[in-house]
Amino acid sequence: MPPILEVTNLTKRFGGVTAVNRVSLSLDAGRIYGLIGPNGSGKTTLFNCITGLVRRDAGEVRFKRRRIDGLKPHQVFHHGIGRTFQVIRVFPELTALENLMVVTTGDHARACRRAGELLRFVKIESLAGEYAGNLSYGQQKLLEFIRVLMTDPELILLDEPAAGVNRTLLNELLDAVRALRDRGKTILLVEHDMKVVMGLCETVFVLDHGEKLAEGPPGVIQSDERVIEAYFGR
Amino acid sequence: MRRLGLAALAALAVVALALYPLEGTGYGVRVMLQLFMWIALAQSWNLISGLTGYVSFGHVAFYGMGAYSTAIVIVRLGWPWLPAALLGGAMAMVLALVIGWPCLRLKGPYFAIAMLGLNEVLRVAASYFEGLTGGGLGLSLPTLHASVPIYYAMGLTAAGVTLLTYVILTSRFGLRLMTIREDEVAAEAMGIDTHRYKLYAFLLSAVAPGIVGGLSARDQGYIEPISVFPLLMTITMIVMVLFGGKGTIWGPVLGAVLLFTFQELVWARFIYLHQLLFGAIIVTVVLLMPRGILGVLQQKYNLPRTI
Ligand SMILES: Nc1ncnc2c1ncn2[C@@H]1O[C@H](COP(=O)(O)OP(=O)(O)O)[C@@H](O)[C@H]1O
Ligand SMILES: [Mg+2]
Repeated sequence: MPPILEVTNLTKRFGGVTAVNRVSLSLDAGRIYGLIGPNGSGKTTLFNCITGLVRRDAGEVRFKRRRIDGLKPHQVFHHGIGRTFQVIRVFPELTALENLMVVTTGDHARACRRAGELLRFVKIESLAGEYAGNLSYGQQKLLEFIRVLMTDPELILLDEPAAGVNRTLLNELLDAVRALRDRGKTILLVEHDMKVVMGLCETVFVLDHGEKLAEGPPGVIQSDERVIEAYFGR
Repeated sequence: MRRLGLAALAALAVVALALYPLEGTGYGVRVMLQLFMWIALAQSWNLISGLTGYVSFGHVAFYGMGAYSTAIVIVRLGWPWLPAALLGGAMAMVLALVIGWPCLRLKGPYFAIAMLGLNEVLRVAASYFEGLTGGGLGLSLPTLHASVPIYYAMGLTAAGVTLLTYVILTSRFGLRLMTIREDEVAAEAMGIDTHRYKLYAFLLSAVAPGIVGGLSARDQGYIEPISVFPLLMTITMIVMVLFGGKGTIWGPVLGAVLLFTFQELVWARFIYLHQLLFGAIIVTVVLLMPRGILGVLQQKYNLPRTI
């Protein structure tokens, strides 16, 4: 099987800062990948380049063999790549249910059923009619997470899904991510908590100053000299 | 039960308005006709700016476009007024397409300024192309007493945009428009082609101003560049919507009715006081009640935006 996502020599500069520097990585379908690195190492920018929110300066992104770099974000989404944001981006003056419905097209009744299922799945079905802006931080985080599941994308990019989420909620979220993997979805997630990464990911990519520093199973990565130095040294 | 009561009330209002010209004075009919015009204008501005958050600071350009298109085909080609006014609506949509395609790529404030510029350009163009528009001297339409049919046409246009707003606000199409206002980046990332949706909203928001521009031109019998492209008219639309409640169905109607009534009562008597009060209303609304009357109620009692 060819990789589902293939990033080759991706580079993005902001003025003098090279936020992503010749990064290459490849993801196989049906697995959970971690993306770690200190703050400012380019993780979010890498997500933005893949999803078309910022235009890469050089390099290629292929999804299921098709070039997707240069496409608009909504086009990338319709190829089957969904994402969440590090800073919550629900639509505050739409209700929780509307936040889910708005991303769907086609059969209205079916979309409604799916939205109901997902709201129950993360146990916020009683808040369906509430404006998203009135939900708690954790509830908004869950809402954003299930919003990306509405259209059943094949690759899901999660930018710090666990940040600011309490223990119970976190475990549910992690279970949900595993359940998605078991259904054949591919997940790439940014996470700082090494315990979470260890328990979830099969392969981890490490970014530092925009460059890929290391790649491998979390156990090996954790004891990698360069990784330890990037995180704790200097 | 409450819904039924409201429906009955609405039906009663429609019947009363439909019968009004039989009883009302000529002056009364023309006042009502202007109220309908303001409802249609405010409601249209709400479609683009209330829903997508893209503030159109030159929306009167579509009104002027409709007025000139209508007047020109009536004067030069002898068209009857109704098809002429419909052509005015179509021409306004064409203008919206030509302007919206590039300008809706601009971010919020730049779009607002571009629209302001558009209105100025059109006003100058209307003065410049004398052969077609009569230039600064304006264009006189042949005499015709048609206030009553125009009253109905205006009323239908106002009702039509309100119905359109209802249909949009209760559909996923409307939700997509609102995601642009809420968070354009997230909307794009969630698969919404924001440029296309902004353009749809813009086209829909141009048609009624084009039609009512044509109908007013016919009703007034004379147009000139400064009378159909006044900045004050755009500002009035904006204030009506902000006052009543943007992004709701009845907010623009309520705002139009209240402010228009206020203008009719105060304007004739105290022309300077009127401008002062109008300015005071703008400042008060923006500072104290940015959501407008219905917006506040909607938020406070968690009402649907179909109010
Ligand atoms: N839109 C932007 N404009 C300018 N600089 C940016 C922008 N986005 C990110 N950067 C810079 O790129 C670098 C990487 O940032 P980011 O991708 O957010 O890192 P991370 O997500 O790993 O914390 C930082 O130096 C940041 O300041
Ligand atoms: Mg980040």
